[in-house]
Amino acid sequence: MRSSLLPDWAALAAAQKIELPEASLQRLESLSRTMLGLRGMLDWGEEPAQVFQVDLPHPEPRS
Amino acid sequence: MRLTEAAAALRRREISSVELTLDCLARIEKWNPELNAFITVTSDLALEQARKADAELAGGMDRGPLHGIPVAHKDLFCTRGIRTTGGSRIFAEYVPEFDAAVVERLQNAGAVLVGKTNLHEHAYGITSENPHYGAVRNPWDPERSPGGSSGGSAVAVATGMALAASGTDTGGSIRVPASWCGITGLKPTFGRVSKHGVLPLGYTLDHPGPMAQTVRDVALLFQAMAGHDPRDPSSVNRPVPRCLPEEGEISLRGVRIGLPRNFYFERIDKEVDAAVYFLGYTAEDLGAELMRVQVPDGEQLNTLAHLTLLAEAASVHEPYLRKRRKTYGDDVRALLDMGRLVPAVDYLQAQRLRKRILGVYLDILKRVDALLLPATPMTAPRIGQKQVEICGQTEDTRIAATRLLRGFNLLGLPVLALPAGFSSAGLPIGCQLVGRPWDEPLLLRIGAALEDRAGLSRRPPRFA
Repeated sequence: MRSSLLPDWAALAAAQKIELPEASLQRLESLSRTMLGLRGMLDWGEEPAQVFQVDLPHPEPRS
Repeated sequence: MRLTEAAAALRRREISSVELTLDCLARIEKWNPELNAFITVTSDLALEQARKADAELAGGMDRGPLHGIPVAHKDLFCTRGIRTTGGSRIFAEYVPEFDAAVVERLQNAGAVLVGKTNLHEHAYGITSENPHYGAVRNPWDPERSPGGSSGGSAVAVATGMALAASGTDTGGSIRVPASWCGITGLKPTFGRVSKHGVLPLGYTLDHPGPMAQTVRDVALLFQAMAGHDPRDPSSVNRPVPRCLPEEGEISLRGVRIGLPRNFYFERIDKEVDAAVYFLGYTAEDLGAELMRVQVPDGEQLNTLAHLTLLAEAASVHEPYLRKRRKTYGDDVRALLDMGRLVPAVDYLQAQRLRKRILGVYLDILKRVDALLLPATPMTAPRIGQKQVEICGQTEDTRIAATRLLRGFNLLGLPVLALPAGFSSAGLPIGCQLVGRPWDEPLLLRIGAALEDRAGLSRRPPRFA
């Protein structure tokens, strides 16, 4: 049975005018179900600045 | 003939590069119509390069062990002046004006290019049933899949149409075909081999790497491919140590090999289980210490890897998907559409969890030097087979084929795939050795020791 905590993939696909085979919808359902459980493993005490490092070019400062 | 044997024979003047190349081209002419390993064959260029290699060697100029060796590139690597299709209709007429870094490096090492190999469309799939260039067929049984996406490269190597080939691995695309075709392949540490000039699929998951018949052949190819490239922002600037394992029996004394007690040996074919354990005992016989280890849940890791790939591939293909939607095969289009639906939050959470799970694996790899695992839970399925039955359970073939592999793309760890034995039906079984970041030399050394003792890469396929 579909959980109310999970997205309605068929409706989301329809909203974007995407036609997906049933197997793909089931796969998305399965991925989001596992992902829901995995949220428990997130470290909410993680230093936010370390979550992502975006390497932007650093031009030399003008003197 | 194997790469290392050919390299030695070239230096003893027992054979020329032209002769090696003509032999590969003859095999391509004979078997490619049935096996469909190549999209483009570069006969004239190959002979020109081979003549140059012979002249250089005769004149005392030796570019190293790949000098004069016929190789093939997966048709995902850009080649200057030679069309690079990516196995797609979209790039069917694309002729790059530059070489991919890997192509450039092998060319500088004196390798001879015999052609560009067939693959799963856009490298997004593991069957190599290409809707535009035809299905690649397995040389052990042409009714079966060679695996993918680097299926053509694996078939070319297994049949001697090329002595070595390049591949890419985003979710198992070097290791599935290596496993099903009975050859060896290396997914290097992420950042070790430049992605410059490789048509992308998953920005943070794509790993170019070598494929060849034996571990030592793979080592030679890897040595030439690896190294820093400032054109690829994910390329890491650190020295590449000597990777070629020594000749003669290699002792594994002092090497600790981990065998996971969970996930990787659950729900796999009995013959695969027996073959991989046999290699484990072979390692023990060579002096290694076997240790049972508990690893993070593989299904969870696969979920993170799959979500990451779905989103990244959809991002790569967005402009083409909008404008040239009908030119995609059904399976690839469905995957790209799925990727458009992945929530950004899920993608971001997956990246956070990716770091956490990598930390757990790095801890495990402090206790053991490498992990020994099966590569795929079953041998090659039939072409067109959508589902497989493993241990009484029916599974989607694509998911089954990648479930033991995909996670290591997310973690970026180096993985060597090598033959582990044969099924009772005579089909190859593959295993994988997973190592610490940048520790490819140890994986190659363990692999060479196992290969020498077990002799599993010596059996030729039907088409060889």
